[in-house]
Amino acid sequence: MLVSQSNPYIPMPMRVLRSYAESADGTLRTLELGFENKADHQRFFDSFVPGQFCTLSVFGKGESALGVANAAWEGDFVRFTIQRLGTVTQALHKLQPGDSVGMRGPLGNGFPIEAWKGKNLVIIGGGCAFTTLFSLIKHVQHPKLRQDYGEIVVVYGTRNSGMCMYKPELESWHEMHDMEVHQAIDVAEAGWAHHVGYVPDVVKQVSPNPENAVAVVCGPPIMTRYTLPALVEIGFPPEDVFTSMEKRMKCGIGKCGRCNIGPKYICKDGPVFSLAELQALPADV
Amino acid sequence: MSQALDQVKTEARRLLSEGLVDVFVGYKAADIPMHPQPAFISKADEADALVYDGFCANNLATYLPQLTRSTKIGMVVRGCEARAVNILALENQHSRENLFLVGVPCTGVLDWRKLTARFGENVSAAVDEGDTLQVTVDGKTQQLPRAEALHASCQRCQHPNPTWADLMIGEPLPEGDPERVWAQADEQIGKTKAERYAWFAHEAERCIRCYACREACPMCYCAECFVDHITPRWTESTTSPAGQHAWHITRAFHQTGRCVDCGACERACPMDIKMTYLTDKLNQDMQVKYGFVAGMDIETQAPFATFSLDDKDRFVE
Amino acid sequence: MAYILEKKNLSNFLTALAPEYQVFAPVKRGEYTQFEALTANEELALDDAHNTRVPPKALFLPMSETLMSYRPNGRAEMAALAEEKRVVFGMRPCDAQAVALLDTVFEAEDYNDPYWRQRRDNTLVFGLGCNQPCASCFCNSVESGPFSTLGQEVTLTDLGDAYYLQLNETKAEGLLEGLPKASPQQESEAQAIQKQAAESMPAPFKTAEVKAELDTNFNSAFWSEVSAACLGCGICTFLCPTCFCFDIVDEVQRSERVRNWDTCMFRVYSHETSGHNPRPTKRERTRQRVMHKFSYWLDHADQIGCTGCGRCVRYCPVGIDIRAIVRKAADLPLEVAHAG
Repeated sequence: MLVSQSNPYIPMPMRVLRSYAESADGTLRTLELGFENKADHQRFFDSFVPGQFCTLSVFGKGESALGVANAAWEGDFVRFTIQRLGTVTQALHKLQPGDSVGMRGPLGNGFPIEAWKGKNLVIIGGGCAFTTLFSLIKHVQHPKLRQDYGEIVVVYGTRNSGMCMYKPELESWHEMHDMEVHQAIDVAEAGWAHHVGYVPDVVKQVSPNPENAVAVVCGPPIMTRYTLPALVEIGFPPEDVFTSMEKRMKCGIGKCGRCNIGPKYICKDGPVFSLAELQALPADV
Repeated sequence: MSQALDQVKTEARRLLSEGLVDVFVGYKAADIPMHPQPAFISKADEADALVYDGFCANNLATYLPQLTRSTKIGMVVRGCEARAVNILALENQHSRENLFLVGVPCTGVLDWRKLTARFGENVSAAVDEGDTLQVTVDGKTQQLPRAEALHASCQRCQHPNPTWADLMIGEPLPEGDPERVWAQADEQIGKTKAERYAWFAHEAERCIRCYACREACPMCYCAECFVDHITPRWTESTTSPAGQHAWHITRAFHQTGRCVDCGACERACPMDIKMTYLTDKLNQDMQVKYGFVAGMDIETQAPFATFSLDDKDRFVE
Repeated sequence: MAYILEKKNLSNFLTALAPEYQVFAPVKRGEYTQFEALTANEELALDDAHNTRVPPKALFLPMSETLMSYRPNGRAEMAALAEEKRVVFGMRPCDAQAVALLDTVFEAEDYNDPYWRQRRDNTLVFGLGCNQPCASCFCNSVESGPFSTLGQEVTLTDLGDAYYLQLNETKAEGLLEGLPKASPQQESEAQAIQKQAAESMPAPFKTAEVKAELDTNFNSAFWSEVSAACLGCGICTFLCPTCFCFDIVDEVQRSERVRNWDTCMFRVYSHETSGHNPRPTKRERTRQRVMHKFSYWLDHADQIGCTGCGRCVRYCPVGIDIRAIVRKAADLPLEVAHAG
């Protein structure tokens, strides 16, 4: 999984292909990046697995770790949806098509999609953490891959309808017969046709069938904290419940020491962990 | 100072058993020779484990901002520590009502590095007996005058008596000689600019940016230190001359009108950096130009923290 | 294979290593010693009974190291890797073992750190065993000892007027070719010194054996007790030969991306942009430091992440002694009642 030649700290040169607002209030923005070097593009998609992340590098500002939001088959680009929060993400929001940006990746372990073959997928996301779940869903929707997986249930909650990402795709998913999509917002809005409520409660209402299924949860810590036990209550064994962890990161390759939960580095051993794995780790988050 | 120990224990016991304080801050016996550890006791019987002598050389006031304002805190303090507590109260970091200070007029703290420099690393015990120290190395005990192991800041201390104590243990000591205090600052002023800069660079060069000086200092309590501010980044975090110089100069200036010259910064520094000469000069300016000494009472604000119409404004001329 | 280098020939021996090698050895600086590149006629501080203040890990992981420079067009140029071949002469076994431990971090199978690797590949370590371990040394409690050879191409024993050199790795053999071989008597002398040094140390205390207690008591009040006096500075971690955490920053004045030593003991270390901090107080941070060294390192590399050099013990401004913490941890319960 080497990221750039023989030096894993040097970012690959990328170019912004597309840049657009992803949320109504503009705090979320999607960037789609193209590779300057064909060899980088090849190497990237040879090993990329949904659930992995990259660091985006803006020289003079720093780097930011972001989940990849597209599947390999979608095209010659890598998609990120970025929340504007600090120095680097602010700089990323200002990028326009044609601008350069650095990227290191793919990093992390990704979702265990091979082990998930033959299973139903229960995919639960909250807010801007839906990015890697989007990558996962796009991946399994590929005509050649769809039959490898069973039923797909999606629960996706956001603060309000404006914050919902990937609206066109979500709308199209409601039409698909092999996907059950449950969208939710925290507070009722005029014209909202879907659930109103917090994701853990919506999950309890939807009560997805745990039989031959795995559940993956990506959301803000507070959402995850209540959703994981809710799934266990419904009957999902901890080995079949997965989540993606986050911590402050710098090197992304397990050397700078800072993103550990006990003996595991989120950047290298994660960010995807099963609930069973997390229960064996100290409460260091 | 070691003679005060029994009374310190008695007071700590009393304050805790009568519920007058929630926690008493003092020192407990060392795991390592000459390194007693600050202790935070909350039960009266824990007072038996307290120690107090010249090796108790931290500035305990540095812990105050970490404790909540509503905590009732008892603390044993030397002259400089009491002045630091005054400043913290003045700067609203703590409320006077919740502090009970047990004051000990101070005969100076000891610099353990003077002992290892003289006797080697294997000092297995060092006992502060008031005027003399009994130092044991490789099984043999030797005596030396306490004065020879005093930390440099204590050698020039002007205010050994706690300026604020709810209880004072022992008789007040004579206040220091002002002339003696400024020797270090005057030595620097006597140099040419180039010599002064060379000295500064020579000392700062060793800095490893561990920020022990900052953490040991009671006046450094900012929620976000200027070196940690990254939006934008104000100082190089690199151990380059630019970064090291910026760190030392800026921290010294942030002490203007606040430094009590306890020397905790120098004692904490793992690289033996001399840095009190910077704050000495600032303290000298405060005293000579504004008649101000930090921490002498709980009312008088530092000159740079206040504004009045008759402030000197010669820089505008 | 063992050789003898008489002390009166030491200077010539080291001089002969240049120009092929840059030689680093401990020199006196004020009240302490540190490893520096030797210039002519440098006086060495090899007889100093105690260790350098800053550990020689700084020779492999510099306090500040430029990773790359960047240009306005956003392209990065990797910083030139250190080219010089080096000999580090007089590294103590605790420090050498620590460097070998750090290989497991920087030369991991998945990602290899080229900056570290280049310095390691270009450096030969001549370790100097400790005839008289200090009171703060505890290498014998952490799977090391005053004459451990780990991380050293050559290990020296000080015989008084000469050094006994034991060749550990053949790649250093060429440097010792001109030296006389050690006689059986000198070998016995060296062995006697090594035995005496090991026996002079206090009995080892349990370290790796305490992992279970540490793991079970993650939420214990024990951590509040042992961290109460901690100031939250970086002395223990910066002077530690096995600590390796680093920060990566863009220094805009110089258009360089730099890595600097960092420490889990600073509050901002784990502070997230959202404002959340998983280790908000000294309690969590002290716990992280101790657990990393005495538990997580065992999980990663089956080795303790501490080599007993004693620097943290000597220089903590508030007298916190990691040996005392680990000793106390041995008394923690192995069964902990779970909060309801």
